[in-house]
Amino acid sequence: MVKKKKWLGIALTAALALGSLAGCSSAKDKDNSEGGKGEKITYWAPFSGADGPRMKTIVENYNKSQSKYQVDFQIVPQSDYYKTVDLAFSGQKNAPDVLIMHTDQLKNYADKNLLKDLTDTVEKAGVKAEDYAETAWKAGDIGGKHYTIPLDIHPLVMYYNKDLFKAAGLDPEKAPTNREEFLAAAKKLTDSSKNQYGFVVPTLWPNQFIFPTLLFQNGGELMKDGKPNYNSPEAVEALTFYRDLIQKEKVSPENVQQDGEVTLFLQGKNAMHLNGPWMMEQWDKAGINYGVAPVPQLGTKQQAVYANGHNFVIPATVTDSKKLDGITDFLKYVAGNTMEWAKSGQAPASKAIFEQSEEFKSMKQQPIVASEFDYAKFAPVVANWGQLSDPLWAEINLALLGKKDPQKALDDANKKAEQVMNK
Amino acid sequence: MRNTSWKSQLTSSLFVIPYLLLFVVFLLIPIGYGAWISLHNWDLLNPVHEFVGFKNYTKIFDSNSYLNELFFEGLKNTFQFVVYSVPLLVVVGLGLALLVNALPGKFKGFFRTVYFIPYSVSVSVVAIIWLWILDTNSGLINQYLQKMNLPLIPWLTDMPWAWISLAIATLWWTIGFNMVIFINALNDVSEELYEAGSLDGANRWQRFVHITLPSIKPTMLFVVITSTIASFNIYGQPYLMTRGGPGTSTKVLLMNIVDEAFKQRQLGNAAAMSLLMALIMIVISILQFRITNRKE
Repeated sequence: MVKKKKWLGIALTAALALGSLAGCSSAKDKDNSEGGKGEKITYWAPFSGADGPRMKTIVENYNKSQSKYQVDFQIVPQSDYYKTVDLAFSGQKNAPDVLIMHTDQLKNYADKNLLKDLTDTVEKAGVKAEDYAETAWKAGDIGGKHYTIPLDIHPLVMYYNKDLFKAAGLDPEKAPTNREEFLAAAKKLTDSSKNQYGFVVPTLWPNQFIFPTLLFQNGGELMKDGKPNYNSPEAVEALTFYRDLIQKEKVSPENVQQDGEVTLFLQGKNAMHLNGPWMMEQWDKAGINYGVAPVPQLGTKQQAVYANGHNFVIPATVTDSKKLDGITDFLKYVAGNTMEWAKSGQAPASKAIFEQSEEFKSMKQQPIVASEFDYAKFAPVVANWGQLSDPLWAEINLALLGKKDPQKALDDANKKAEQVMNK
Repeated sequence: MRNTSWKSQLTSSLFVIPYLLLFVVFLLIPIGYGAWISLHNWDLLNPVHEFVGFKNYTKIFDSNSYLNELFFEGLKNTFQFVVYSVPLLVVVGLGLALLVNALPGKFKGFFRTVYFIPYSVSVSVVAIIWLWILDTNSGLINQYLQKMNLPLIPWLTDMPWAWISLAIATLWWTIGFNMVIFINALNDVSEELYEAGSLDGANRWQRFVHITLPSIKPTMLFVVITSTIASFNIYGQPYLMTRGGPGTSTKVLLMNIVDEAFKQRQLGNAAAMSLLMALIMIVISILQFRITNRKE
């Protein structure tokens, strides 16, 4: 009897161990089975932030609006998104039927023939290039093919603290529009005895957006003839101007750490701040009296702004015509019904919204984002821009921390990027 | 008689099986798969994985390849962190253990818990807490420095401060684990030895050096080795707190490996780098083991 009990215990332990193993493999079971009506379309997006519920509402409304198709919306956390997408494309995971892809990632996947050329599909479904912002649509043209249906463009924008503007005797409804106005305002807004600054210069993120903006405004390019072009005179001028804000004009403190400029903006000690439209909800939550404006022309040549964008793409493996019909039907619906998306602070690339919707035009931030569409520019169309640009951000970091001369920093960045390229 | 020994052997093997299964599924198979990947030109987006033998490894040692710099720069930075953090982790862990053990019984449990709590927090929480405390222009510490008219310290944007900050954050986060291990070891040291020591006129320090330290030597070795391995695997703190900056001075090896795997999508190179890293850790652990045992 005693012996039997012992064996039972062992058997139970073994069963538990096996059970926990089995549990791991079956944990991925999907629970989004909202009835099996219509052709099922799987849709992936990296919207793990405040924008997730917005997109979810759009999908739910679409599913309610018709009964032919059923869109299954799945959010993959931003930090794991492209890993998961890569695994799906390499056939190790069930791939989605339609997914969101950032503009700067398109080339990587297009080069490997993993995305579907949408030229015919789009025409058949009656989706037209003219219905979208030209900047957004053109970014989907790679190597003579068209791969995307744009969702939005998110360019750099300027946020400023209206209370600080008022206190400094500036008009809180008039943000600076060029370098001179910007510098004059920044100096007026700086009071280092109160630990208050006109424009706190970040030393890390979001320089990935700010530096290209300054460079484009100087008429420079990040890549030239397929090679890194980080140390052009335009780039050196841009970085020197940017660094002088700290060292010469002293409108920014030194040694700003990761997110330090955001913290100071939230505390009302940073008067002007450049960042993406996704920051809006954070300012709203913090209850800051802020204004939004297009990025001033801080460069010497032209107005320009760096942007990224969200696009819908379809994997090349999706060939079932019924599915394709469903996807295009859904995307057409999205184009006309992205008001919900705009509520997260973004400006949809669909003209039905940003040009024609009165509700959109009455919003505070979103029309300003859309006003930058015409001159917005994306990352260079080159494979692995992420890794190619890493040395640039590290060297800009050193220059802004006062550890390297701008020319030397950009020379070094260029050298390293070339090395990565010739691997 | 023979029957029982056969049965007891079977029983004991059954007890090992759960661990063995987990070990095989979550360690042995992935390591083997990683080694297999490291012999291929394994682009995540390319369905064809061409066999290249040891080419990924030779590239790491070829000074013309970007992999060479990626690996050895990262390794140098990781080494620096190990050198700064491991002595602190061991000494402070032991110090806290002695301190907590010397407290009256009631407080002992309380402080043991207090010091252990940070260990159960995730690295992102640790990073955010320390980012707020260390912020150059609005952080807690620099606010006090400013009040006392002392110069502000660029905690995360200048060397060597960035390493100091990362070591402090790591210390705060993980010290509870080492402390608990040391407390257990200290409790196992026989009271009689201390009594005999004090009768012979040994003072506190002498008792510590000649009784405590030799008695807890095996634990010490364990703590040194586990701390070294843990510090070698540093990733979250610099990734979240300094982003590898200033420049790439705190960009540790694991950050470079993850970039190579998932930014550049070169799993073959990344697998070769991580296996090489594992090899270095194994060699260091064996050396530590040998050195400590030789002194006996």
